[in-house]
Amino acid sequence: MTTLTFFLLAALLLLAIGLAGLITRRTLVGMLISVELMLNGAGLSIVAAAKSTAASDALGELATLFVMGLAAAEATLVLAMILVVQRRFGKILSEDVSLLR
Amino acid sequence: MRDSINQIIDSLLGPLAGLIRSLQEWLSPILPEATWAAYLAFALYVLIILGGGFMAILARNLVRAMLGLVLAFLGVAGMYLLLNSPFLAFMQLLIYVGAICVLIFFAIMLTRNTAEGEEARFPSLPAIGYGLLAFIAPLLVCGPIIALHSGQIDVHVPLPSDTGVLGQGLLSAYVIPFELISIILLVAMAGAVYLGFRGFAPRKKGQSQ
Repeated sequence: MTTLTFFLLAALLLLAIGLAGLITRRTLVGMLISVELMLNGAGLSIVAAAKSTAASDALGELATLFVMGLAAAEATLVLAMILVVQRRFGKILSEDVSLLR
Repeated sequence: MRDSINQIIDSLLGPLAGLIRSLQEWLSPILPEATWAAYLAFALYVLIILGGGFMAILARNLVRAMLGLVLAFLGVAGMYLLLNSPFLAFMQLLIYVGAICVLIFFAIMLTRNTAEGEEARFPSLPAIGYGLLAFIAPLLVCGPIIALHSGQIDVHVPLPSDTGVLGQGLLSAYVIPFELISIILLVAMAGAVYLGFRGFAPRKKGQSQ
């Protein structure tokens, strides 16, 4: 058990919490919140692995910065999709919009 | 070092300080003070992440869920500080708490989805079962792998990182991912604006939006 183990376990907890939320949430906004939790766990595990082993520090930090940029783009697109779904269906339940037509 | 830590503990915890001090006395032969403070901070951040995460997925009010998400983000920012990369901690606050949470707040507010929305009902019993399964499965699959194998890697204390090296990396070795991220952000913003504006145009007959 090293310090890396603790950080990776914390990241794993974030992944598990996000996955559980993704399953149990009924609306698209709740699912977006859960996905953000999982992305945060991914960034934490990348930084912990890069900073505390012999790997390049800058590589790990830049990878996490890229993950953050992708998360921002993803949140923007999901916000637009939620608006469109809300306008067409009047609600944003994920089971109501499971058909692609 | 130990005096300043004790002062912080006294001012923060009050009655609990005696208990923690005895724990510290008990642990002091094994761990030096700085390490001990780091473990205490790590435990605090894990508690913040756990509380915020469970609030984010369990709260029936989506605004409360978003506040839990902010709490989890703050805990992860603290973890970045513990890993000796303050630049990433500030980026975490700036991008996640500053930008993404505002986006999520817009999504909540624009969809009539607060206290009496669709999330106000509890999920059905099968959904709760699947949720528990989804919570346990990653822990069961990845947890033993991490616990057994990550101890064999040579680990050193995280060194303070130089932000200048990050900037040089963005402009030299990793310039293509950097430009790709810019293009992805541009395309995503343009697509979001297009999707948002199209719905306001009056729909013509026979046009299936």
